[in-house]
Amino acid sequence: MIEKSLLKGNIAIARAALNCGCSCYFGYPITPQTEIGEFLSLEMQKRNLAYVCAESEIGAINMALGAASSGQKVMASSSSCAVALMQETLSYAASDELPIVLVNVMRAGPGQGYIYPSQGDYNQATIGGGNGDYKTIVLSPSSVQECIELTYKSFYLAQKYRNPVILLVDGLLGQMAEPATITQNPYPDIDTSSWRLDGAKDRPSRNIHSLEPNQNKLNQHVLKLYQKYQQIEQSEPDWEEYLCDDAEIILTAFGTMARSAKAICNHFREQGIKMGVFRPITLYPFPYKRLRELSFKAKYIIDIEMNMGQMLKDVRLGVLSNSQISFIGKPVGDWLKKEEIINAIKNIIKEQYASI
Amino acid sequence: MIKNFIISGSGGQGVLSIGTILANIFMLGNKFVTYCPCYGAEMRGGAVHCEINMSDDELLTLQNEKADFVIALNQMSFDKFISKVKEGGTIIVNSSMAKIEKTRNDIKYIFAPFTQEAIKLDNIKIANSIALGVLSKILGNLTMENVKKAYEKILKDKKELIQKNLDAYLLGYNYIQEKEYA
Repeated sequence: MIEKSLLKGNIAIARAALNCGCSCYFGYPITPQTEIGEFLSLEMQKRNLAYVCAESEIGAINMALGAASSGQKVMASSSSCAVALMQETLSYAASDELPIVLVNVMRAGPGQGYIYPSQGDYNQATIGGGNGDYKTIVLSPSSVQECIELTYKSFYLAQKYRNPVILLVDGLLGQMAEPATITQNPYPDIDTSSWRLDGAKDRPSRNIHSLEPNQNKLNQHVLKLYQKYQQIEQSEPDWEEYLCDDAEIILTAFGTMARSAKAICNHFREQGIKMGVFRPITLYPFPYKRLRELSFKAKYIIDIEMNMGQMLKDVRLGVLSNSQISFIGKPVGDWLKKEEIINAIKNIIKEQYASI
Repeated sequence: MIKNFIISGSGGQGVLSIGTILANIFMLGNKFVTYCPCYGAEMRGGAVHCEINMSDDELLTLQNEKADFVIALNQMSFDKFISKVKEGGTIIVNSSMAKIEKTRNDIKYIFAPFTQEAIKLDNIKIANSIALGVLSKILGNLTMENVKKAYEKILKDKKELIQKNLDAYLLGYNYIQEKEYA
């Protein structure tokens, strides 16, 4: 058995990236994700891999775009307000169909905000701030162990679908250490030889570009991208269900907030109230279908987030039943306390559950 | 059962070191544990604290308002975290660098001159390990084997410091043996 060690989320992500063959890293320091770059600056040099602390986040993500077009396994990392700077390139990378893994360890916004905890980048990640019809795959870990597993998965999905993947991490999780095992990367390597730009000796030349002055071709290109997104939406939704089978009240939450939701769920279960927790692991593709199925048995769906209700709209899109949908949230700062959430839930459900 | 800990002091006092060691001791004892360091932009001399949560079950509540046990290595952290001790909880204070003063009667206080004791051992830097020893004594269920392993792991690049720190830890562990603590 491989021994557990006490690992910080940021370090876990960096180690997992190395473990699954990340050959290029580009970044620029920003709290709360700086340890990723700090760790890789030493380790990648030792392994003779490409590490660049760029002149800015815009530089970093564009270097990632260039390196990805040559078929390298590429990662960039940053945080909220600096990921905002990268949005243009994400749209380019989606159009160019380039596999880039971008880690966003979230801090508080909007604007410059500060290093306080927040889950304010759900919209930025899932909808995106770039132009045009494009999608980015978004994965959301809730523990350090999952930081490792979802880093592997990010690289795999990025290559499998030739699409940017965002690993959306709570600042708390990036900074927090807990016991975790550096497992083996379970995913196969994807052959990139059919598209990468690695020198045209003995083969016809290729190019990768998003400029397309022919409207029919551009139309065809976007339709092709959407066929791919459809396939992603069918095959890749991933989620965790906690005591959902008989749940009359379902709490929805992503990232570390889902852990608090489980603790709260246990609290209500002890009082005989049938509560469950539904945690999307892929934020895009959002697991609408499963949430829809579960919602038909639920009287209440209560969404809990450390923002003003960004995932809430996806919850609303998923739920087609008559369940009452409510929201508990706070934009910035210390995570909502268990007692605060419990009281807010009691307030919501008091009509049907008068006994508590 | 969840137990929460806050270890606090100023940068350079080894707050995060004993925090990591304590978290490792719990991990080696097959507990679920989370460790969160908190510090400002400044390191040496600035305020530093860390939070540790330990449980037999999967750790679900990650941030807690209050702690069962607080270690305060200087006056600033004593003042700051006295209100964070849970009712019935314990605060362990470095009386070399903080005034002996009891402002609450719903918690237990332990005052010990960690810095002075460390100077007696010829190394002011190991005051933190003495404090950890005191905390261990109160907790009562940490095995010396795991304590040793944790120190060896954290100090693997500074092997010469392991024994010194273990001596300091044991001094702390035995410090309150004869004192009243229930």
